[in-house]
Amino acid sequence: MTTSTDAAEVSGFARAQVRRQRANFALFLGPALVLLACFFIAPVIVDLVLAFTDMDRTLAVTRFTLENFERMITRDSRLVASLGVTAVFVLATLGIFNVTFALLLALTTTAVPRGLGAFFRAVWLLPRMSPSVVYALLWLWVIDPNERGLLNQVLIHLFGMAPIDLRNNHPLLIIIIANGFIGASLGMIIFTSAIRSIPEHLFHAARADGAGVLPIVRHIVFPAMRWPISYMTIHQTLSLLVSFEYILLITGGGPFYDTTVFSLYAYRRAFDNGQYAYGAALSLILIVVGVIAALVMWRLMDMRRLLQVPRIEVH
Amino acid sequence: MNWKLAIAATIAGTMIAAVAQPAFAEDVVIKVWSRADRSGPLRAGNLVAAGDTLNKMLASINSDKRVKIELNETNAKGYDEDALDLLKAFAVDKGPDIFVLAHEWTGAFAGAGYALNLEDHITKNPELYGDIITPLWQAVTYKGARYGVPQDSEVRMYFLNNDKLRKMGKTDKEIAALPGRVDSGDFTEYDLCDLAGQAVQKGVAKYGILHRPNAGPDFQMLTEAFGVDPYDKATATLQASKSGLRDFYTWIKYCVDKKALSANNTAMSWDAIEQAAFGGDEALVFFHGVWRVTDQMKAFNLKGKDDYFHKYTWINAPAGKKGGKPTNLSHPIAYAVSAKSKNKDLAAFIVALASQPIPNERHAVSTNHTPINYGEQAMPEVIDKGWALVAATPMLKYATFMPNHPKIGQYNSIVFKGIQGIETGRLTAQAATDFVIDEMQNELGKDVVIRN
Amino acid sequence: MAADTFATVAGAAAEAGATSSAAAGARPDWPALARRARVKRAAGQSALLAFLLIVSLPIILPYFWMVVISFTARSGGVSTEVLWTTCAVVVPAVMIYIVVHLMAPSPRVRMVAGVLLLMTVGALLASLVGGQLHLANYRFLWRTNIIEEIRSKATAGGQFPSVWIAFRNSLLLAFSQTAIILTVASLAGYYISRFAFRGREAFLQGMLVLHAFPAMTLIIPIFLILHWVGLLDTMAGVILVLATIELPFYVFILKGFFDAVPWDIEMSAMTDGATRRQAFRLVVLPQIKVGLIAVAVFAFIRAWEEYIFVRTLLIENKNWVMSLYLFWVSDDIMGVDYGIVAAVSVFYVVPSLLLYVFCQKYLTQMTIGGIRG
Repeated sequence: MTTSTDAAEVSGFARAQVRRQRANFALFLGPALVLLACFFIAPVIVDLVLAFTDMDRTLAVTRFTLENFERMITRDSRLVASLGVTAVFVLATLGIFNVTFALLLALTTTAVPRGLGAFFRAVWLLPRMSPSVVYALLWLWVIDPNERGLLNQVLIHLFGMAPIDLRNNHPLLIIIIANGFIGASLGMIIFTSAIRSIPEHLFHAARADGAGVLPIVRHIVFPAMRWPISYMTIHQTLSLLVSFEYILLITGGGPFYDTTVFSLYAYRRAFDNGQYAYGAALSLILIVVGVIAALVMWRLMDMRRLLQVPRIEVH
Repeated sequence: MNWKLAIAATIAGTMIAAVAQPAFAEDVVIKVWSRADRSGPLRAGNLVAAGDTLNKMLASINSDKRVKIELNETNAKGYDEDALDLLKAFAVDKGPDIFVLAHEWTGAFAGAGYALNLEDHITKNPELYGDIITPLWQAVTYKGARYGVPQDSEVRMYFLNNDKLRKMGKTDKEIAALPGRVDSGDFTEYDLCDLAGQAVQKGVAKYGILHRPNAGPDFQMLTEAFGVDPYDKATATLQASKSGLRDFYTWIKYCVDKKALSANNTAMSWDAIEQAAFGGDEALVFFHGVWRVTDQMKAFNLKGKDDYFHKYTWINAPAGKKGGKPTNLSHPIAYAVSAKSKNKDLAAFIVALASQPIPNERHAVSTNHTPINYGEQAMPEVIDKGWALVAATPMLKYATFMPNHPKIGQYNSIVFKGIQGIETGRLTAQAATDFVIDEMQNELGKDVVIRN
Repeated sequence: MAADTFATVAGAAAEAGATSSAAAGARPDWPALARRARVKRAAGQSALLAFLLIVSLPIILPYFWMVVISFTARSGGVSTEVLWTTCAVVVPAVMIYIVVHLMAPSPRVRMVAGVLLLMTVGALLASLVGGQLHLANYRFLWRTNIIEEIRSKATAGGQFPSVWIAFRNSLLLAFSQTAIILTVASLAGYYISRFAFRGREAFLQGMLVLHAFPAMTLIIPIFLILHWVGLLDTMAGVILVLATIELPFYVFILKGFFDAVPWDIEMSAMTDGATRRQAFRLVVLPQIKVGLIAVAVFAFIRAWEEYIFVRTLLIENKNWVMSLYLFWVSDDIMGVDYGIVAAVSVFYVVPSLLLYVFCQKYLTQMTIGGIRG
């Protein structure tokens, strides 16, 4: 970088610099790299290998084979069905709750007095903050097909209707709402901050121009939300695609296979009957989808701009 | 750098906190794996008692060695689920020394090298095993050798609720005639559905026929009634008959249409089932094993045999077609010793002690399971309190066992999914048959032969 | 400040609309206009609040029900009478308070009204349902294996460990995971934010991929790996796995916080003779305290609620955490003793809720991939 006359001094300094550089790399990034290599990268590689074996419930591998993929492509009729369920589940949850409803919540809770707005945001964060087992349990109690279910109580006593059995008749609806309540809260928080970070003078200017509520939302709020909304859309699509915890706890993927989304399908195949190799092969699809989606996200979001140039070169 | 220290301390701390518990040099630890089961707490309990007996013997010779039985009583919902967990535990060397399993899993554990071949141990100790009822050994035999010791036995059946039958206008005479009509092939599975459906439609019962909520052995006697024999003894492979399955699923669909089976049955927890069958008294027919007598006596505060049979009638699974043969299933639970155990012999002797007439009789009488020793049948306690077992014994002549094939659990679980598909209104009889055949071919591959 | 901006602006916009239409008249009646604007604003606010209240009920009601059940259910049945009575008292009180809040700007009036309402509600509830409240469902806190006591014996040794064992394990899991994440993620986050190194972009990209990665699909290989390294069925194994899986997400968040710290602070520290590491520890870290707290809270709550991984990776019941304890309690006695299941749930939820309530102001400062959230 510098042209110096005293070469020896520079090289000594440079050597120390390189040494410190290495030490810093090991110190700052080392722990993360070790953990990720052991418990994240290694499992991915193991999964990749498992997909080509015949590991069953005894966890023994007797041979390497392409059978899992052959079965997946040619014979597995459930797989196609689960893809359909996944599409409906992801699109509906995302469209209705994680984006639209989240936006609605962000707009309304920022438009009411601060304390009340915070209260309602806290309420909507409740499902996210409470443990999944508790949340799922509450759902089971709410939709219990008996008269004692909370929903049925409301229907019977408030509306004079007959008890209904959502779990059997509209299972997909349940998992969409159950996941939506949780998904909406994340969007709500992010959108709320985005609204708050809009410079105040824009609102004043709009007011001076005599703009009403809707024009303000359209011309000032929405433009500021473009980025958060696209981020949420991609992020939530991905997390909806791969997570199945609430579905597993609430419907178990049933009745029959009605709420078995693809990720749960892979899990069920692996753990229902101990077909671990086939489960691993199915997981590979998810892994590929996940990687592609993340790369697309990188592109769309222009993440490179997040890498500001370091201004201190000393280590 | 104190934060480097902090990382190290955190990691070290978590590791140390998780390290195993201290063990004493003079203790020989025998790990037991048993599923928590209200219908048999003494399965593990008798092993603990056997350990105590052994320790008394050791104390009497001033030995400083003691046996310590370490229990792991799991919460799996059924023996199939439990067996899968146990296979996993064995695969990662977390297996126990002694384990309790449903007999049809013996093959799976023996085949995987986890269950010890007990043939030698049993033949060398006739004083300990000589009285065990001979046919029961068949249940733990895999490829000609015994890999377990039967722990109990039972009969699965339909329990008919007499109170509800009377409410439907059946006379006591008609009710009393039912078991006979079933055995003669006059009263079929279809008749049972009609009866149960009527009860629901008349509002006498909320559930016509209530069965277990998850996969399990029960359904084999029903498929068998429609001519599905799951096992080809000659070739030792599983088998399924397309037409038999179609007949079976047609019957299930018929029951669903008649409202004899509820769409919710497979979504219920075991407890909701018990609540419906006993606590709430909401079912006309309950389908399970004879040990349920214990729950029924308790739930309805029944006093003794006469009181009980005033409330309940037992029938075998009727034939699928008129004139056919009824059937039922006996599903023994067994003890097995781990082939990986460091104390195989000791573990085997503890099993032997736990299988003696006195401890086994305690399990049999307290939970209404049929005993495993010939001698037990003559014990005053059994004669006095085991009237249900005595009453069930004649039914054993229609009993079948499950085949001891390593993949029978998987086979059952597929058949069950077909039932679930129809009950929840997701599949027609034909679709269920196709689904089941398809799944069997996919999951079981060469282990199953599909016949027409 | 910015919080109410939108609200004031919305209100102001309404006022402005009123003003411009009134400007057509010769002499504006200012007090009347102001009144009209206030009423209009209150109407708009009420509509918004009504909307929020209605959409929030499906969330509030079940949680409220759970609490009510835990304090009122007696073995066998759940009486919903208490729930509806309480609702009939509480809901109108909340409505009244909201109206007061909207109409009276003075904090003192609001407070007096709040206290009065609270006392009324308390008195009403005490007289209406007070007799039905009891603590018996919480006896699982001091009695072990209560489930077998209620239902009859299922095991020789006791099916359920003391809830305190599960509680201790959960705390251990949550604290250790949080500690690991805080240390490792702040180190890594600082490094990618501030240092130039080869593969920096690739690393960040990798983090993004891992952050979006379907980690649940790795359960089987993780199970095997833990077995190979001898950490299966140990708390240490679960802690390391969970911390690692969450790590990329938090590295991202903390990187965002580091990005926002001005370079000048660091530069001046170094001009004063600090090394880079000292600058990080003594100058930069304190700057992102808010971020660290937010990450800590989130990491803690995530670990506290974890279910699927602990279910798969922990085998023996001495290693149970709260989620497993609750799962088995509810699985075993669902439909028979709602009371205890609800009490265990309440006991399980309270720590994460307390944490959330006390740290809420930090959580809204979260930054995800450069977006404040």
